Amino acid sequence: MNTQIIAQMVVSGALMGLVYALIAYGFQLTYATSKSINFGQGELVMLSAFFSLTLLNFGAPYWLMIIGGLLFGAALGLLVERAAVRLALQQKSEGWILLSIILGLLGFSAAENIWGRDDRPFPTPISADALHVFGINITPLEISVAIGVFAVMGLVELFKRKTLLGKAFEAVAADRDAAELMGISATRTIMLSYGLSGMVAAMAGILIAPITTVGPTMASALILKAFAVAVVAGLDSGFGVVLIGIFLGALESLTSFYVGSGWREAPGLILLILALAVRPNGVFGKAAIVKV
Amino acid sequence: MKKTLLATVLLGAVAQTALAADVVKIALTGPFSGGSAPMGTSMRDGAKLAISEINLAGGIKVGSKKMKIEIVERDDEGKNERGALIAQELAAMDDLSGVIGTVNTGIALSGDKHLQEKGITKIITPAAGSASMTQWANKADKPGVKELSIFRFAAHDGIQSAMVVEHAINQKFSKVAILHDATNYGVSGRDDLLDQIKKQGNKLEVVATEKFNIGDKDMTAQLLRAKAGGAQAILIWGIGPELAAVSNGMAKNEMKIPLVGGWTLSMSNYIDNAGKNGDGTLMPQTFIEEAITPRAKSFIDGYHKAYNVTRIPSPVSAAQGYDAVYIFAAAVEQAQSENTGKIKLALEDLKKPVHGVITTWQHPFSTWNPANVESHEAFRRSDTVMGMISEGHVVFANQADRARLIKNASK
Repeated sequence: MNTQIIAQMVVSGALMGLVYALIAYGFQLTYATSKSINFGQGELVMLSAFFSLTLLNFGAPYWLMIIGGLLFGAALGLLVERAAVRLALQQKSEGWILLSIILGLLGFSAAENIWGRDDRPFPTPISADALHVFGINITPLEISVAIGVFAVMGLVELFKRKTLLGKAFEAVAADRDAAELMGISATRTIMLSYGLSGMVAAMAGILIAPITTVGPTMASALILKAFAVAVVAGLDSGFGVVLIGIFLGALESLTSFYVGSGWREAPGLILLILALAVRPNGVFGKAAIVKV
Repeated sequence: MKKTLLATVLLGAVAQTALAADVVKIALTGPFSGGSAPMGTSMRDGAKLAISEINLAGGIKVGSKKMKIEIVERDDEGKNERGALIAQELAAMDDLSGVIGTVNTGIALSGDKHLQEKGITKIITPAAGSASMTQWANKADKPGVKELSIFRFAAHDGIQSAMVVEHAINQKFSKVAILHDATNYGVSGRDDLLDQIKKQGNKLEVVATEKFNIGDKDMTAQLLRAKAGGAQAILIWGIGPELAAVSNGMAKNEMKIPLVGGWTLSMSNYIDNAGKNGDGTLMPQTFIEEAITPRAKSFIDGYHKAYNVTRIPSPVSAAQGYDAVYIFAAAVEQAQSENTGKIKLALEDLKKPVHGVITTWQHPFSTWNPANVESHEAFRRSDTVMGMISEGHVVFANQADRARLIKNASK
């Protein structure tokens, strides 16, 4: 009985953790090219979910909704880059922090005004009836979340390694000045990374919406965890976010089971503090040599 | 041009003050957006339905003239700090006859003191948390207030938790788990449940007491603790979206045990988000959306038609909002005044019965007694029935209750 409960808790938690990882991955994509992240990423998740729900309500088939939602997310990502990041980077200022937060707040108010403040169910063709796998209850819906997370991250990684555009991305991430000297436009690559990051956020929104329901605040708790995952794993390790995401998710579940449900949020915060104190570049991060 | 404009504005102002003397100004407050919105909007719409009926008939008879009801509407978004601000604003209005509303217990706790200070009559509905009224009553360390202008028109959690515990005992359960949210409502509900278990002879062993936050979606840990303890039923106090997360989590973890809890389990955002997993959920109700009496039929049809829906988002809130307006109007008529202080005195001693949609109200309130909150509580155990969710609707859990209500109405 006891090991079964632990296994169940770990699996349930790990699945939530994968969603943290996917959002954290969105942070990494933009950090790699521009050393900036979108602090309004949670709003991108939420807005894309709302947009996808609207598509479904208009009678769009499921596959079309996914494509539409992803394109919408990419467009939002590009908007964030244009409105909040580009100028700040040109001026070598940290203005993108505030600007991306402000854009997020704008998106939040827009969602409240367009779609209202209620939580709404997100229909899905995938069943939520539990299956038994080695004594653990798991729903096809949860499995689809895991598959979706790995599929998106796998595709983006393939793109980065196998295509010319992707190699440009990697080049800018490795050394921006050298890449520019080779004729790669850093500005365009940063645009690309924000577009991809928006798409990843949209995917996270579509995957999680059937479980969490869709509402303006649906991502506010997720985003904090994702941020913790990104920082703990290191802002440049795609493999690291998955591991840390799973670890944090499972740890949260076990904590609320063994310590008490009020302590659920504690491990993430403690991990974040520990990581910042002990390994500021993240558990899987590379130590950067800063030239003074 | 400018002069005529000024003149029109002035004239308008004069006309308004002249008019103001002939209206009864009532504020309707509650969350019209957010997680508690189904309750807030249903309460408001039910109240507005009653107000439009009264106004259509010419208004409330005071002396030789008839006074119409004017509405002031405020959305507190279910947030305590917003509720407190609104209460302050309302307390500053000198021509306000009364306030009807409040869904969230936390808002009653943060805002009502401003109204009480100014002696503005308020009928709380549908907030059910015990603390909204007990905050004024005698406590071990300090006596309660002598005069109280706050009344409640909802089956308070004391009644509801008694029914929930009673149900669990009647089903011969011996082990239960209590789940509750971290709000004022959830915590006070948990205390009421524990209190009732003790009062009803300690027949239930509480194997797990678990908390969740607003916005939580994964309830696996809480549920597995209940399951590991061998709970035979889950007693729960929370609001719609999180209740649905619990219900869906139970289905996932194959916990086929009853979910019984506060009346909020009848909220549309619970029913919709839980889907078929919500079937069989039990909760105390003061009104079931079924046209069992002519009065209920005309109310339900009127609501559906006025707001173009086929299901009231929260029937209990709508019916309570509706009846609260009629009780308030009866008090105005008895007081023969729109003065809030006089209305309060009339409410404490309503002479004529008020025919509502829930029941016929005979003397629902009495003079405030700080040793007994029931003096300002309208509902008793007999006004409350057990409701059950069946295929997306709340129905009577016991046919006996249904028969009793039909019989009472025909008397």
